[in-house]
Amino acid sequence: MMDSGFDRRDFLKVMGWGGAAVALTGCGNTSVEDGRETVVSYSEPADYVIPSIGVYYNSTCAQCDASCSINGRVREGRVLKLEGNPDSTINRGKMCGLGQAGVQHHYNPDRVRQPLLRKGNQGEAITWEKAYALIAEKMKGVSGSEVAFLSGSVSGHLKVLLGNYLDSIGCKNHFVYEAIAPGVVRAANKKSYGVEMPRFSINKAKVVLSFGADFLGSWVSPVHFSQQYAEFRKGVNGQRGVLIQVEPKMTLTGANADRWLAIRPGTEGVLALGIINALGVAKGDVAELVKDYDRARVSNETGVPAGQIDKIAALLKLRSPSLVLAGSAAEGYVHGSQNAAAINLLNHVLGNVGKTVEITESVPFPQMAPATGSTAALKSLSDGLAAGKFKVLFSYAANPVYTSPSAMKVRESMGKAGFKVAFAHYLDETALEADLVLPLDSALEDWGTHVPEYLATCAQINIQQPLMEKLHPETRGMGDILLALLKQNRADEYKGYEDYYAYMRNALLKNKSALGGAKIDDETFWNETLSRGIIKLEGPTTNLASKTSVAGINLPEAAEENADYPMQLIPAVSASLRDGRHTNQPWLQESPDPLTTIVWDSWVEIHPKKAAEMHIVEGDIIEVTSRNGSIKAQAYLFPGIHPEAVSIPLGRGHEAMGRYAKGFGVNPFQIMDAVYDKGTGELAMNETRVKISKTGQRVIVVKDEGAVGGKQMGKKIAVRVSTDEVDLSEEV
Amino acid sequence: MHRFIHLSVLLMGLFSATCSYGADAPQSAQMTPDSSWPLVEQPIEFPHNRHAKDMQIDCMYCHTYARRSAVAGIPPLKKCIGCHQSIESVRETPRIKKLFEYWEGSADGKIAAKTPMPWKKVHDLPDFVRFNHERHIKRFIEQQNRPTQEACGYCHGDVKELTVARRSKALSMGWCASCHEKDHPVTAAGGVSAGDQAYWYGFNKPVSSGSGGEVKAQGPNDCWHCHK
Repeated sequence: MMDSGFDRRDFLKVMGWGGAAVALTGCGNTSVEDGRETVVSYSEPADYVIPSIGVYYNSTCAQCDASCSINGRVREGRVLKLEGNPDSTINRGKMCGLGQAGVQHHYNPDRVRQPLLRKGNQGEAITWEKAYALIAEKMKGVSGSEVAFLSGSVSGHLKVLLGNYLDSIGCKNHFVYEAIAPGVVRAANKKSYGVEMPRFSINKAKVVLSFGADFLGSWVSPVHFSQQYAEFRKGVNGQRGVLIQVEPKMTLTGANADRWLAIRPGTEGVLALGIINALGVAKGDVAELVKDYDRARVSNETGVPAGQIDKIAALLKLRSPSLVLAGSAAEGYVHGSQNAAAINLLNHVLGNVGKTVEITESVPFPQMAPATGSTAALKSLSDGLAAGKFKVLFSYAANPVYTSPSAMKVRESMGKAGFKVAFAHYLDETALEADLVLPLDSALEDWGTHVPEYLATCAQINIQQPLMEKLHPETRGMGDILLALLKQNRADEYKGYEDYYAYMRNALLKNKSALGGAKIDDETFWNETLSRGIIKLEGPTTNLASKTSVAGINLPEAAEENADYPMQLIPAVSASLRDGRHTNQPWLQESPDPLTTIVWDSWVEIHPKKAAEMHIVEGDIIEVTSRNGSIKAQAYLFPGIHPEAVSIPLGRGHEAMGRYAKGFGVNPFQIMDAVYDKGTGELAMNETRVKISKTGQRVIVVKDEGAVGGKQMGKKIAVRVSTDEVDLSEEV
Repeated sequence: MHRFIHLSVLLMGLFSATCSYGADAPQSAQMTPDSSWPLVEQPIEFPHNRHAKDMQIDCMYCHTYARRSAVAGIPPLKKCIGCHQSIESVRETPRIKKLFEYWEGSADGKIAAKTPMPWKKVHDLPDFVRFNHERHIKRFIEQQNRPTQEACGYCHGDVKELTVARRSKALSMGWCASCHEKDHPVTAAGGVSAGDQAYWYGFNKPVSSGSGGEVKAQGPNDCWHCHK
């Protein structure tokens, strides 16, 4: 549904006249001949700067929380291309498409360039001095408990500084929010294994049974898992690993699986217990728990054929060790914690804990460890705001107005805070609600340290350093802003630090010996650290729980049919768009979705059988209605989805955020029900019931594949033809 | 409608005229100017003649990147200052005073200290052409021991006779090819097989070596060398 207001005919006309213009300038002077092109020289270049020859710097990718180490090529002072840093144990020199698009975050034309103060519906550009003075003024007479700080997940020295700032104003309300973080799984892992994120060794497993964990696409640390997966596929002693994926909507990982099983949404835990039952090796209370989950009942509830349950059990018995993963598809329910606990129990029963579910080290500086985000945090912030508890709200690296269900009424609650400050790269939906917007440096211009939540083989601190000079002089690093705010209250303590760089450098040098630099001088240590981009450490470990309690695993009875809303809405997390914070990077919009190959738009995935029942064909605009609203999008018939579910990808449908994001597609967050997991209070993302109806409109789906489709606005590209239909002698 | 046709014909004519002009560009690799392109006004009327002819300074003393990189680069401001701060005799001439304004900042504060000089571009190639200075320097100066001014002059003209540089060669593809076809004749010796592929410049089909050998093209005759 791209509507550019520019049709093909106009385009050709312009191209024609453009050609004429080129021909005409051929007779006149070029812009060079007219002296309109400058070639500015350096004034005092460093010795290693040679025009047209790249210089490479190591840094850390900030596109998602996996914290991959990157290496950026800089030429003539401009960063051109990012690659993975081979030294990192997380990504080992590789990088994903999302990471590659990081340069488009940096060069994005819609970045905020000056502090903006709200004046009615307009933002008035002000100076930083005025902005800081305004914050100081607004904070006067406001007690710490009346201030709330909302942020995405933070780690490293930024987290330390943020903690110190909140401490300096006596504020304990730091809400760490991530829209699609595996919050329920973390809590379940903590209960089952003793740590929130153990190390999953996919490469050591002979069978991986994944309950909706899209570890190749978007789950936790996809680049790392993809490499493990490659080893897993090569196999140990030539025995190729087998991947079984169970999920209601096929993910990229599901598409790669040897066996993909469509499961009735929300019954993942039932299947896990059914497999334990079918294994027949459980004893004691576990056996007691699963005794009713015989294959007839499980098959009936989950929709997975009884024969498949037997096959999975037989395979798991035959090949050990295996690995069972509880992913985001299993956790997004009111009973999500139960699902995850049941799935984790399977790992215990199979004896995988300690073999493929391994202990992980943590960074020996607990204050730098990542503060992981959850949706429960947003709920309590939203409730607090609605109750009028907070007078001042800070928001950093989070866009709750876009990423929360409209039923949560975050936008309305935010209105109750008297003064809202957003630290932002772009004017996204949340920044638009703010009274003061402070522009941030891009991730390629800023300093920082990152501690990855998911550590691969050793504890590590990743260094983020600027790859080039600031594009816009009036943006600031988040660390610099926090330091300036800290100086408002603790001037004496922080006066020694001119900027965040000085603070970070000092903090790392102070702990030089603990960071492996005991024998070298400060300058050498610092330069080596920057050039490596990674500090690898020996860190403390936590032992894994060898047994888990089955107390509390209590899966609900199968939900009754709901005649009003017969379908389940599965919001899909795509590998490139995730929660929509990078939707304004056009490479991500234009790279085809791996399964449907659709670009620049949203779609509703629907099972062909269901579509036939409702007389829906591809491209029909269908309306998806929940109790909390409705959205309209093009239908895409997709056999990789449970017939009772529809799926809409997350990340599109922005109302703001610049030219590449605004107005493309729809936002399924909007129509989600605000229901929460009982165990953790996390938003139950997959719990929304919907009904669908045809609107009577139809469009041509813009996508890359398909014999019927394969069309781009009516123009054929890459039409798929089977090879036996091709007569090469005719083609040549 | 007639007007449109007339215009199209005119445009086609103009276009083909420009094309053929490029193709018919003088086929010499001499330093003498083939034609004089417009003189571009520079922030300082830099006297190439003073430096290259009177003072006998090697081109690459200032255009130092040429031997190390695809682009020759404009000398950094520091390079100019490095010499001129100890050349007292010309220190008070208008051009040198202006030069030092960029280094030290101007008295009226309009130019900050160490402002790079906004030189105007004189030689330019389209973005789809990758001309490599380093390779040409290696070949002509290092391997064939030709004088620097002669080697640079093949494309830049006789710069030592100029004040500010002025384009004097066509720098079109046909003009480039005129050297490459002359100096890299398509022979049976080495190189990639040309076959019927478009490994030559499309203007003149490579002749068979005559000795019955396969027609071969050497490196520089490959499209990919410049259009990558």
